[in-house]
Amino acid sequence: MIDGLLELARRRLEQGGGADALERRVERTSVAFEWGRLKAAGVTEEAGVNLRVLHRGRVGVAGTTNVGAENVGAGDAGAQHAALLLDRALASAELGEELALAFPSRAKLPRVTTHVQRTADASLARLIEIGQFLLERLTREGCQVNVAIERDVSDTRVANTAGAEGAYRSTGVAVSADVWRIAGDDVLAIGDAIESTDLPSEDALEGVVRSITSRLDHALRIVAPPEGALPVVFTPAGLSAVLLPVTQGLSGKAVLQGISPLATRVGQRVFDECFSLTDDPLAPGRTASRPLDDECVPSRGTGLVERGVVQRFIYDLETAARATTASTGHGKRGIFGKPVPGYTNLILGESGDGRRETWRELGGGLLKGINDGLLVDDLIGVGQGNVIGGAFSHPVALAYRIERGEIAGRVKDAAVAGNVYELLKRIAGLGNDARWTGSRFTPSLLLEGVAVARR
Amino acid sequence: MLLERPIQLAPVPPQRAEGILDLDGDVRGVPLAEKKRLIEAYNGAMLAVSDRIVDTLMTYRDEVSEYWYVNSEGAVLHELRPEVTLSGTAVARRDGTIEKGLESIGLRRGWRSVQDKAAGFRAVAERAVLLLDAPTVTGGTYPVVLDPELAGVFIHEAFGHLSEADFVYENPQAREMMTLGRRFGKPVLNVGDNGAASGLRGTLPFDDEGTPTQDTALIREGILVGRLHSRETAAAMHERPTGNARAISFRHPPIVRMTNTYIGNGRGTFEDLIRDLKLGVYACGAFGGQTMLENFSFTAAYGYMIRDGQVAELVKDVVLAGNLFQTLDRIDHIAGDFRWNQMGGGCGKGGQFPLPVTEGAPHVRIEEALIGGDLPND
Repeated sequence: MIDGLLELARRRLEQGGGADALERRVERTSVAFEWGRLKAAGVTEEAGVNLRVLHRGRVGVAGTTNVGAENVGAGDAGAQHAALLLDRALASAELGEELALAFPSRAKLPRVTTHVQRTADASLARLIEIGQFLLERLTREGCQVNVAIERDVSDTRVANTAGAEGAYRSTGVAVSADVWRIAGDDVLAIGDAIESTDLPSEDALEGVVRSITSRLDHALRIVAPPEGALPVVFTPAGLSAVLLPVTQGLSGKAVLQGISPLATRVGQRVFDECFSLTDDPLAPGRTASRPLDDECVPSRGTGLVERGVVQRFIYDLETAARATTASTGHGKRGIFGKPVPGYTNLILGESGDGRRETWRELGGGLLKGINDGLLVDDLIGVGQGNVIGGAFSHPVALAYRIERGEIAGRVKDAAVAGNVYELLKRIAGLGNDARWTGSRFTPSLLLEGVAVARR
Repeated sequence: MLLERPIQLAPVPPQRAEGILDLDGDVRGVPLAEKKRLIEAYNGAMLAVSDRIVDTLMTYRDEVSEYWYVNSEGAVLHELRPEVTLSGTAVARRDGTIEKGLESIGLRRGWRSVQDKAAGFRAVAERAVLLLDAPTVTGGTYPVVLDPELAGVFIHEAFGHLSEADFVYENPQAREMMTLGRRFGKPVLNVGDNGAASGLRGTLPFDDEGTPTQDTALIREGILVGRLHSRETAAAMHERPTGNARAISFRHPPIVRMTNTYIGNGRGTFEDLIRDLKLGVYACGAFGGQTMLENFSFTAAYGYMIRDGQVAELVKDVVLAGNLFQTLDRIDHIAGDFRWNQMGGGCGKGGQFPLPVTEGAPHVRIEEALIGGDLPND
């Protein structure tokens, strides 16, 4: 355990020094069906310890996966490993940057259920059964189906020399399915994925089937793309390009670097009134939820944007110290490297109840008033280039033309472009189809005046 | 019995070999402080370019891994594999405009190979500052010349992944699309993958199934002639293993991957490619690229307009988008200035990232391609 390691650090560090450490052990069971047949099933296990020290005003970090049967800090071999890890962290601190890092003291942790016993208990056969169910329901003439299921059971423990600590076990099941259809040189792949701390219900699996088959049915007919400044519906999956500049700009790290366009906009209305963004590490049933972050800061919800007004940025301990503010509890760390600020569960719209994963009709009711426009479900190249400035330009990977309030068919060879900060000033509609896509909960958004080009 | 059809492996004679790659100044003997001084110097070179450089990020990483491969057929392989990577980002800013420059070096070598590299880092910082004043390229279709770096990224992303046999071997439709003998380009186009090329990051004597690496022709004179195999995909398709089964670590299974992927050398110079272009785009460097099936999008680091056969003004936000089959077919001229592009980072597939690979190409001309940027109705 890391307690022995921190005890050792307490003895070695001078007055004013400190340390924190994270230990994580993950057991992952994977099942993969490729091109319609069971291809791989197996279990991997990974464990490691990450240690950070504050020594003579400088920060150093070291990590190890050499935790084996002996826990770091326990037993003779463990004590040796701990001493070696501490030596490396101290050597790193000699060269580290000066930083007035303050480790949080012990605090009461909120309650959040991160662990579902039946998920941990589910046998390999049970996971294969889930895959077979999807495979059977999705198989159709002329198409190939891939299904992947990953079940994680992980134990995290984090503690520091200021007396704060926390430990939790989490479970997660991620189920994804893709249907491929290749006709000549037209390659079409439509997928969906769901993720939860609990095993998926039959209802949730049926939702995946309906989501894929409905988008596939609409995709079989190829139509010419529209052109011009048009109303465009971005589905929950298609929203990535629109949200990425905003989430990058709301990171305290970007603010410190002087590259966030939102840096000077706290308290100002930057977005449409219906645009609210919250990060919720306590969302029930979500795999990113946890009682405290990876730096011992207790979890709580962070309002980032409320009714269009920028509220605050996310910080971990280091960026908070540099910005002379408090951590918002967004420290994320791996086994190697230092913690960085990262989101947990992002929620767009009024946070409230009724968070579902079940499939609703494509477009979430936003298509009705659109005479000619586009529905974007997936774009190519999101995250490339100069994202944080807000300008984007992407060819579509999966998009549909909307004519007279209905889906007319799939478009190929089209591209969409715009500036997120311009487009989000006026949101023409939020869909009734809010759902989780990974660790993001959003409805579809209708934006007007998005540049659509053919090629 | 879980598997419906048992997996067959194509035969490979078991080898016993001891490989010590050139450590070129073993990084294990170099103190941390000295490594820090090196990147401080390179970081300082970027910062010193201009007070417009508001932020920089410089990373250094090295490793020497001891590698053993054994199998029940009798293969015993032992290797010592070095790797060193350097990457620098310079961010230039004026008011609301932010531009960046990236330089990345990745070598299967050691400490000596990363000395005296300040000029490259300085150059990308200078370019980031210049881009502040550069106009956004006007979107549209142009004749486009790719520099060797972008051409290499293009061939890896847009074509290389389709030539990995695990994409086609159990998918009859994909198999049909990638039928050997199909024409993919004009006779100037030659593409291959060479895991045995000397001294590159994707180079290894054997792959991670113990198959010797080789130079595999994928497109010869415009015709699809080969694909990349593991022992499993080779057996399934009744072809020969090519030494392309690779795993990023012992935690992952070897899967079909590229090594050093290239567009073969053509003839003539860069000037020959642009001489007869009245208006075109010279797209350089790569900030990123993504292919989705037959569609791709690549973001060049920067570009220049070509006017009346000459390189003209610097332009930014050069995004090259298109359909793979059309674009390969429109490559009409390839220069004779081939070079390998030894970048850091790596390739990702099936959750295995970053796998060390190299890409190489000469300057390549595409008769007509779509350049994003300002769309016409902006």
